[in-house]
Amino acid sequence: MDANRYIPSTDDFKNIYLTIKFELLKHIKRRRILITLILAILIPLIFFAVPPLLGHDYASTANGFAASNLGFANLLIILSGAIFAGDVISGEFENKTGLFLFPTPQRKSSIFIGKYIASLTATWVIVSLYYLITIMEIASIYGTSGFSEEIAQSFFLALLYCTSVVSIVFFFSSIMKRTITSTLIGFFLLLMILPIITAVFTVAEVDPWFIITHNEGLITDVLGTVNQGGFGPGQGVNFTIFKPDLWRGIGVMSAYTVILFFSGIFMADRRKME
Amino acid sequence: MLSKTVECPKCETHITIQGNPGETTALICPNCNTKGKFTFQKEKVEIKTISEHNIIEVKNLTKMFNGFKALDNISFNVKKGEILGFVGPNGAGKTTTIKLLTNLLTPTSGNAYINNIDVNKNPTKALLSVGSLIEVPGIYDYLTPHEILTYFGKIHRMNKNEIDQKIKEVLKIIKLSDWENKKTGSFSTGMQRRLAIAKAILHSPDVLILDEPVIGLDPRGIKDIRDILKRYKSKGVTIFLSSHLLNEVRETCDRIIFLDGGKIVTQGTTEEIMHRIKIDTIEAEFLNQLTEADIKKIETIPEINSFEKENGFFKIKFDGSPETSNKILTKLTKQGLKVVSFSTKKADLESFYVSIMNEEKGVM
Repeated sequence: MDANRYIPSTDDFKNIYLTIKFELLKHIKRRRILITLILAILIPLIFFAVPPLLGHDYASTANGFAASNLGFANLLIILSGAIFAGDVISGEFENKTGLFLFPTPQRKSSIFIGKYIASLTATWVIVSLYYLITIMEIASIYGTSGFSEEIAQSFFLALLYCTSVVSIVFFFSSIMKRTITSTLIGFFLLLMILPIITAVFTVAEVDPWFIITHNEGLITDVLGTVNQGGFGPGQGVNFTIFKPDLWRGIGVMSAYTVILFFSGIFMADRRKME
Repeated sequence: MLSKTVECPKCETHITIQGNPGETTALICPNCNTKGKFTFQKEKVEIKTISEHNIIEVKNLTKMFNGFKALDNISFNVKKGEILGFVGPNGAGKTTTIKLLTNLLTPTSGNAYINNIDVNKNPTKALLSVGSLIEVPGIYDYLTPHEILTYFGKIHRMNKNEIDQKIKEVLKIIKLSDWENKKTGSFSTGMQRRLAIAKAILHSPDVLILDEPVIGLDPRGIKDIRDILKRYKSKGVTIFLSSHLLNEVRETCDRIIFLDGGKIVTQGTTEEIMHRIKIDTIEAEFLNQLTEADIKKIETIPEINSFEKENGFFKIKFDGSPETSNKILTKLTKQGLKVVSFSTKKADLESFYVSIMNEEKGVM
């Protein structure tokens, strides 16, 4: 056995725990957490308040209501991921706070794992709040009979998608020099670039199952009331829609999570404060 | 009666001995039975004293950045309780050395040890008893000193009561007590610097590694830091200090290393360095204003290298020997010049620094 092989000790776990607490404190103290909190509360409230104000009825089923309400989960997840994970590593180097943080008796990887988990926790909290408000609205409109297994599945998929989004942004934070670059690249990649690439593959009739944003559709698809968008009948336009497969989608999200998390830790660990 | 704690060279057990000045005390290590003796007055030790133990040891350290050699095979050590001054111009390699000592950089070759532990191979253990201040660190401006220091206290495994007590203590030392619960975003550069020092000393480290600790501080702040260094030195803390302020170095350091171009130019105890600084000037004052003829007479004295007026005094450059000084005084008097004051002056550390840096560059 290699005598230098690293074996994590209880000290490392304690350091990770301390970093998670410290990072969560930092997330709470920064005003930008308010942006995500406001969105998490405001979006479901709009879907709850606007239909009665305009004299419209709510969707006929609880799942239908949830599907329209949670249609913005994707945006909230990407925004939260970019905000909470975008500068976790690049910020320490750009702002030179790393000169304060790194020469301490803890492994750099413990610091980075702690930072990752804290970013993930913050994103999960925001998404959970979004779902909680949606569920409360469902309870008030449809009663507790409106709660369904599909909503629970959607919540699980949203948390999994959060994890892969945080991993992607975390990876960019570990390789980029500037916080603004890592945050914006993560945000626009997930919100615009990958959806455009997905669209290109779709036009070329290639199933884009391997693109993370393609699988994000599962969050509302599992509710069973997918919008049948597209062109109207008789327009003479035919195109293929590739629907993400549930288990393959879970596999793709998990793969992005694991690969980019470990790549991010590896890259961050190699970075030096030159 | 004197008291001294020494360390057994075999098992490193600390042994406290007592004796009178001049007295030689026989020692037997209670742990491994190693025999030795210690003489109080002459400081001759058979068993290695703690103060001789190297806390920081740098061996053949080299650091390359994209083909540029920032550090070129340097070696030095710092003994327990010693303050080592690390002096050099910008780009000399001071901060690179400090970053290598704190595992912020990896050496291209060579090793840096703290308490005999290789910093690069086992940083968590090596940095356990180290407090550091490197360059001008950024500070989480949305947090308070209490929140920031609490985290670092926990990382050093201090308990909550201990952390709260130490935070109050260090903030008092660095004069930031009134700012304990205010966001650091409103702090001036000097206050941020003080906070960084508070972080460095919070866990009562055995080793302090400080990179330009007085940058951004006003004269009062500089004095405060000097007092802190003296206070920690008296507690036996080993201090590695990089600084541009040569007077600070002279006043606080036991030993000085001069670094330039990534190489050690010269080193020695502060006393040795100051001893190497030559007396080369005589400051003289005359009763009457010197006439042109007087000045010509003075210039004919062969022992005088140069002669100029500065701030009401005449500065006479000579070879620095007491004999020459005496000859010059005698000749001035013989020429009928009424000397009111006549004193030799040493060049300061700054002039020494400039001269050795010039020597290194071949500018003389």
